[in-house]
Amino acid sequence: MTGPRRVRGIARPDPVRVRLAGPWRVAVAEGSMRPAIEPGDWLLVDPTVARWPRRGSIVVFREPGSDVLAIKRVAARPGDWVTFLGGHLQLGEDEAWLLSDASDAALEAAGFGPAMDSRRYGPVPVEALVGRAWFRYWPGGALGRLPLGRAG
Amino acid sequence: MSPLNRIFAPKTVAHAHCDLPCGVYDPEQARIEAESVYRIIEKYAANEDPTFRTRAIAIKERQADLVKHHLDTLWHDYFKPEHLEVVPNLHELFWSASKQVSKVKASTSIDDAKKLLDLIDEVDAAWKATGGESKTRVAGRPG
Repeated sequence: MTGPRRVRGIARPDPVRVRLAGPWRVAVAEGSMRPAIEPGDWLLVDPTVARWPRRGSIVVFREPGSDVLAIKRVAARPGDWVTFLGGHLQLGEDEAWLLSDASDAALEAAGFGPAMDSRRYGPVPVEALVGRAWFRYWPGGALGRLPLGRAG
Repeated sequence: MSPLNRIFAPKTVAHAHCDLPCGVYDPEQARIEAESVYRIIEKYAANEDPTFRTRAIAIKERQADLVKHHLDTLWHDYFKPEHLEVVPNLHELFWSASKQVSKVKASTSIDDAKKLLDLIDEVDAAWKATGGESKTRVAGRPG
């Protein structure tokens, strides 16, 4: 396991050798990506991606602050402007803005608190990117590619 | 788990995180702050010193805000729609209790503070009637 790498202050993804180690498959826990992804879904992940994928893609990454492996949707990419805390913020050249699909109201109705995403921990640097989730292979009824979507 | 599942099940878990409320609720928290308000009003009445009285009012208002906060948490987070079947006047109860806190904030009447304590006891009864004691507290809650 290599630690975060920074070259001239810019975050870099892990080298290919480390990325090839995976994970290639993940099981999803918790419900903040409902309805697109349900807890218990098994997904295929492409860990070879070295840059933030297109807006609307679903990514697996190490959550800033906790290093827990998390799954969210890319809402904004490097250089994009996002609204945050009543103001605006431009993402750095290695940063993405990752959001949950489920609304806070839906989570509250299910007995949970607000989702943990960029609204909580801010922009996520590409060094935290682990892979792009692209295919659901369980449950069988929901088998197929994960389409691009819109967070929130 | 079937052998096929064992082969295909991912070894890694990715969390679609949300905040998990701790699930511990007890009207006692509101009751203790409301008792502070009650005692401060007693002390206020027994003391003529203007500096003391100013401090007492500031503290009373701070503790009253805490009462409101704890009542709101119970109302919004602990009580669920199905509890209305057991406690049909739940919303009126919280409405009057919150209104009573506002009244106590603006008043130095011991009767107002006593009425707030009584309303919190009613909330406590509603919490117990809906199984709050066994569902939200770790066993061994002081009686």
